This record gives sequence, structure tokens and C-alpha cells, in this order.
Amino acid sequence: MKNVAVLGVGMYRFGMYTDVTNGTMAREAGMMALRDAGLTFKDVNAAYTGHIFASVMSGVRVMKEFGLTGIPIQRIENASATGSAAFREACLAVEAGHYDVVMVLGFDKMTTMIQQSTGGTAPENMEDAILPAAFFALWATRRMHERDMKPEHLARIAAKNFNNGALNPMAQRQAKEHVTVEKVLGSRMVAWPLTAMMSCPIGDGAACAIVGRADLAKKLNPGRPVVKVIASALQSEKYAPGHLFQGPVVGPFQMSIDSSNQVYEEAGIGPEDLDLVQVHDAFAIEELEYYELLGLCKRGEAEACIERGDFELGGRVPFSTDGGLISRGHPGGPTGLAQIWETTLQLRAEADKRQVEKARTGMCHMMGGGSVCVIHLLQRG
Amino acid sequence: MSDQQKPRVPIKAGFFTVPDDPAAAPKFLGTRCESCGEHFFPRRAICAKCLSEKTSEVEMEGRGTLFSYTFVHLPLFGSTNMAHMDGYGVGQIDLPEGPRIQAPLAGKQAEFKIGQQLKAELDVLRQDDSGRDVVIFRFRPVEAAR
Repeated sequence: MKNVAVLGVGMYRFGMYTDVTNGTMAREAGMMALRDAGLTFKDVNAAYTGHIFASVMSGVRVMKEFGLTGIPIQRIENASATGSAAFREACLAVEAGHYDVVMVLGFDKMTTMIQQSTGGTAPENMEDAILPAAFFALWATRRMHERDMKPEHLARIAAKNFNNGALNPMAQRQAKEHVTVEKVLGSRMVAWPLTAMMSCPIGDGAACAIVGRADLAKKLNPGRPVVKVIASALQSEKYAPGHLFQGPVVGPFQMSIDSSNQVYEEAGIGPEDLDLVQVHDAFAIEELEYYELLGLCKRGEAEACIERGDFELGGRVPFSTDGGLISRGHPGGPTGLAQIWETTLQLRAEADKRQVEKARTGMCHMMGGGSVCVIHLLQRG
Repeated sequence: MSDQQKPRVPIKAGFFTVPDDPAAAPKFLGTRCESCGEHFFPRRAICAKCLSEKTSEVEMEGRGTLFSYTFVHLPLFGSTNMAHMDGYGVGQIDLPEGPRIQAPLAGKQAEFKIGQQLKAELDVLRQDDSGRDVVIFRFRPVEAAR
């Protein structure tokens, strides 16, 4: 990918908002992104919306908030990776020369979705017993069986993400005081060994990225570093013995290995060139496995790296610098775009107290249930 | 205690058998690929491995080996059975024919060990509008089975 840049980013802070509509959150995130880009909605050639829980027609209806200009609007949905998948479609369309400026807009209201659910009284099948927390707890128990992992390692990841989130005004969960390993371990047990603080919250929110031709970035904001999208990959599952067909699962570990190798090859770089990484840390065990699967450490070395603080702010390669799904939040559709928001700010050196020094290249990794793996590489031009 | 004389129906048809004998283990309704021999659960029309359409329905024994487990500290989803209110185990189980499946486990967390042999059993989740027992399958460690 050679000619695509993130021109602007915006967010509506993730949280629980009973009185705020998708339209309001999406409009505020979108207008913030347009102002950040130095553009108006008249400049937007197309839009991709990303939402999981909002009802049919929500994409085009919410887009009316910006004005009715007749542009093509498409909804993209891929579970947790919805925002990331919508971002990818925008990048591909710009790279192919179809559009100069595209809006990618993610929004969701999980609080409404839960109000409308049956409260668990009428499940259609047994798969509903396999909650996401249980599914990822199965990863953790297996890891404890095969390696030296202890719940303390997971608690240290979660504590790191809470403490990173405290430096991000857009984070949903903002700890008032430093979060310790003991506090994470002492929170409510959800699915052994995962506690509530090792798990992402539900929430509402919106996030927006304006994607466009890379040469426009310099013209629009001459004094600002250009943030280019240098690689994009989206992969679904490949069959291998032991494949799981049931439950709200994300697929085999191999998906993250293959997708990361694909973006490294496309960009002509390796994991050693990354300065920061955002991942699908819906549960702390995921972030631990992704250290290895994305090539940031060798297989079996994640525990030692955690003990050394390799992936903390100030460490070798900081992960989940904005707090990750665990602290910044995970409403669904906008989550992948929040990763783009954070990485863009970091590469422009605008991330304030959580700034990664001399950040030049960042990775955004998302898993979407079903499942897919989506990875983008962003680089300061 | 549930009344074993009540008619029993699976929570969803097409996944497992409900034997007439209350003590008998359920069997899993799966698929075998006639071209490459791979087994699948649940059933599917096209082989996920070799893409052959020559597949046949098979019944697989209700037993397996525990690959991983957890214990969920919430009531079992959709259950009105008081025995399910304090939480439930969940496991990934490797069936002898090859498929790895996810299912609730019967027993306490301390009874579960990776690599142990498990046997499937039926468990009453609730009653339907006709008063029949709606059943799911769970896996119980063989050494703890009564």
C-alpha cells in the first residue's frame, strides 16, 4: 500500500450513555476527524460505516447527520473487527484510485443491545453457554498447562492497560489511582483464571478516521507528520485438525501469525521495526499470546518479557498504549478505529503523557469473532 | 431432583442423541468425509478440509479427552436448574474421531485435569411448555463419574 494516509481522526469517548444516540456520538467523532484533517464533509467522496448492534439502515441514517450529499455509503460488519474491516475497505478503495477522501465511521451502543436482549432466558442452543470470557479462559488454562504462565502475568498485563488508560482522556475506564497486580487479581472472578479487571467492559461510543491520498496529507496540514497506511491484511480461518466450529470463538493462533507475516512482507519490514502495537486485548490472555504470534517475542518467552516490562510504556515495544480494550473500552463497531486514532496520534507525537518516544511505525491488530484477523501497519512518512 | 420418567428433548435437534435409557451416554451427530476421512462436529455438507461434497452422517461416541477447561462464575445460560446457579465448568474436548468440541463440564473445578478422560451425559436445563425436560450434554471426568 503506497498512496494511502490517515488524514484525520476523531473519537467520542467510550462509556455508558443511556441518553446519547448513535447519531450524536457518530456526528461528534466524525466532525472531530474532519476538523483534524482540515476538511469538510463536502470533501468526502465515500463513507464506510461500521456497527454491529445497530439495526438495519443505521449506516445511511446516521450519515445524514453530516448532510445529504449523495455519496456512496456502505456498511461493513465483522464482529469486533468491524471498524478495522471498514478501515481496510476505505484504504483499498483509495489505493485503487476510486476515491481521494473516504470517511470511516464506527459507532455502537452495547447498552441498548443488552436492554433488548432476552436476559439469557431463551437461548437457542448450547453454544450460548460458551461466553467469550469462558472461551479465552480456555486459552489461559491451556497456557498454564504448557508453559510457566501464572495468573499474575495476566494481572500485570491488565494493570498495565489500566495505567495506560489513565493517561488517555478518551478511555472508558480511568483508574483514579495506580492499578496493582494485587488489585486485578482481587477483582471478581469471571471465568477461572480471568477476573473482571482482566476483561474488557461493555460500552457505547464512536470513532472516525478520514482516509485519503497520501499526497493530500501534506497539503492539508503542512506542519504535521504524514501518517501513511503501509500494509493491510484480513484473513479468515484456515482448517487444521482440532478446529473449533462452535461458539463465539476467534480462530486458530495461526491466523495472527499468517496475517502479521503478510503485512510485514507487504511493508518490507519485520517485527523488530515496530515502535508500538495495539491488539484485541478483550481479555488479558489474548494480549499475552499476541506478543508471540505477532513476532514481538519468541514462542514461550512472553512470561519473561512481561516480567521485564518489555511491553509497558517505556519498554521495548509498548502494547495497548491507550489502555487497550480492557481500559479504553470495546463498544464493537468503533473499537478498531480507536486503535487507528491512538496510533495516528502516537506517530504524530501528539499522544501527550503516554507518548512513545520516536514512534515511527505502529501495528493495529484486531480479531473478529466468527472469525477474522485484521492487521494494519501505520508509519510516519 | 429431575423426574427421569419425563420425556426428554434436546435443546436443539440435530446435534446429539437422547437415548431411551436414562443411564446411557448421548452420541454426537457428526459428519465423516468419504474422500479424506476427516470427521466433523456439528454436521456439515461439504468437507472443510478437502472441500469434497461426498460426506456422510455418523454417530460418534460420547467420550473424549480434556484439552482445556475453565469454571464460569455465573449461572448456566438459559437454565432454571438450581444446581446450575453457582456456576459451571466449560471444556474443550477432543473426541476419539478427531473433532475438538466445546461444552459445559459436570463437576467442580478441582476435579478437572487436562488430559483426563471424560464421558458425556445429559443434564436437564429446564422444562418446556409441554412439561418435557429440555436437556443439554455435559462432559464429566470418568474417575469422578458415579
